[in-house]
Amino acid sequence: MQAKKLSSLGKDDRTNRQIALLLAIGFIGLAGAVITAFWVQRSSEDNAALVAHTLNTEARIYAFGSANERAETARRGYLLRPLDAFRERMTAGQRERATLLEEIGRTTQDNPTQQDRVHDLRQIVAELEALQNQAVTGVVGVREDLMANFGEDRAVLLTRAVRIKAAEMLAEEQRLLTSRQTRQTATILRFNILLVLTALLVVALSAATLTLIRRNLIDLRASRNELNQLNLELEDLVELRTEALRRANAEIQRFAYIVSHDLRAPLVNVMGFTSELEASRVTIDKFARRLAEEAPQLLDEPTRLAIDEDLPEAIGFIRSSTQKMDRLINSILKLSREGRRTLSPEQIDLAALVGGIVETMQHRIDETDTTIEIGEAPRIVTDRLALEQILSNLIENALKYLRPGVPGRIRVSGGVLRGRNVIEVADNGRGIDPKDHERVFELFRRAGTQDQPGEGIGLAHVRALAHRLGGTIDVESTPGVGTTFRLSLPLEWRPGESHA
Amino acid sequence: MPELKASPTPVNIVMIEDDAGHARLIEKNIRRAGISNPVHHFLDGTSGLDFLINDVNGPAKNGPSLVLLDLNLPDMSGIDILARIKGNDDLKRTPVVVLTTTDDKVEIQRCYDLGCNVYITKPVNYENFADAVRQLGLFLSVIQIPDLGDDA
Repeated sequence: MQAKKLSSLGKDDRTNRQIALLLAIGFIGLAGAVITAFWVQRSSEDNAALVAHTLNTEARIYAFGSANERAETARRGYLLRPLDAFRERMTAGQRERATLLEEIGRTTQDNPTQQDRVHDLRQIVAELEALQNQAVTGVVGVREDLMANFGEDRAVLLTRAVRIKAAEMLAEEQRLLTSRQTRQTATILRFNILLVLTALLVVALSAATLTLIRRNLIDLRASRNELNQLNLELEDLVELRTEALRRANAEIQRFAYIVSHDLRAPLVNVMGFTSELEASRVTIDKFARRLAEEAPQLLDEPTRLAIDEDLPEAIGFIRSSTQKMDRLINSILKLSREGRRTLSPEQIDLAALVGGIVETMQHRIDETDTTIEIGEAPRIVTDRLALEQILSNLIENALKYLRPGVPGRIRVSGGVLRGRNVIEVADNGRGIDPKDHERVFELFRRAGTQDQPGEGIGLAHVRALAHRLGGTIDVESTPGVGTTFRLSLPLEWRPGESHA
Repeated sequence: MPELKASPTPVNIVMIEDDAGHARLIEKNIRRAGISNPVHHFLDGTSGLDFLINDVNGPAKNGPSLVLLDLNLPDMSGIDILARIKGNDDLKRTPVVVLTTTDDKVEIQRCYDLGCNVYITKPVNYENFADAVRQLGLFLSVIQIPDLGDDA
């Protein structure tokens, strides 16, 4: 299950990376589209400028052609009728033609073919201009010559040459225009294709991203369900373990109970027949006394000793041992009964509880000249009787093991430490040897000089109760200085959280 | 020695107790209390019940009896025997004294619920034990045993 959980988490990671990658590609694609659009815009602007330039050049070539025609027409007019008006019109045509040719020369600087043609045109125009000027100088004979050889007029030939050159240049400009327009169309087409491709890419990426996110969500939901399932299973498992523990505990309690009862039955016999033995000894003793009076020679010393010393001694030991055993069995019974008691949590005023315990021990407190301090007492929710038994055992122990001759000081205080209630019972008594710190909590084990009555039950009981309340107890002690018992309990104990 | 009742048939004391020592101590102390009625002792529940129900001298067939019952028996629980006695029409009036080591409150209540007449815990302390049995003897000397016999 652990592995399954991990793998689904790992998939999550991979999907996230994929989504990030796809989004990145999408953004790069969009940026590319924007840059391309910008570039296409720029290039179509350039193209438009070039087209305008070409159209401009074309218009100039037309104008140049018409100026050339005009100048030639004016010259011919002058030859027919030598009027000043013809000459002036010719000169204006010539000026316009020259200006336009210069302009054309400038605007076609980037085109070597056209430059060559402009160069040719300049030579032709120069020769033509000279011929035309010659025709209108008014020198006698020239006009007549020209009129006579009208069919072979060189100026006419040159004019035709200019016309042809201009037509060539126009054709060239037309070609350029067409090519530029074609290029423009191609660029726009490419741009459109690119746009469509980008749109497709974005759509595809969006679809892929959505699919991944969807799959991710489905995985997440599956993980969540799995987690819930695991939680439930865990709860069941805990429930199961708790139940097993409870059963085991109940079994131990039952066992302790049965054993102590069955141990009791033979003890009844031992005690009973010991008493019968004692009764018999009394009878024998009476007889021995009578014998001593009536026939002292029959009563020897060993018999006397047996009746007076050996028998009472033996009976005495049997009695005291049996009594001790009875006390131990009763203690086990008590523990087992305590263990079977149902605990119920309630809000407890610790100070009042300790006050009540102190009251019941007032006699002993006064006797030993002890002061009992009750310090800070936190709010606590637990089983009242169990806590009372724990604290009264601890306080009783503190009173029991004071140093003789030293006035006792016992301090009970509580506080909250790391989310748990900690209650301390500290005394200035005789202390416990470090090697016995664990032992004192064991059943029937005691530490130090055995000068006080007791079976070694109290602290075992305290620890069992602390565990049942979901708590722990430990001890800190320096021999000859004092002992502190520290009880740690949950802030709020609920039944079913017991460790026992 | 006084008889428990001035009837033609003496009251039988039926003791069902698996521990021979206990039985002996109980009998001794009953005798010390001055009770001389016959004591029929059974070491297990089966033979005890058999006597109670089937024996010609038993309370079901003949004459008044008093049952001293231990709860911890090897073959069956004393509680079962008590239930059988109190559930039997011929026996249900027979007084039953439960005398056992168990001092568990729940157990004691169960015995009284089933119709036990007296419940005595066997104390380990012998003086207390002897006292209890002797007092039982005194008690036996004053109680009126219901007459179960057909001819009484």
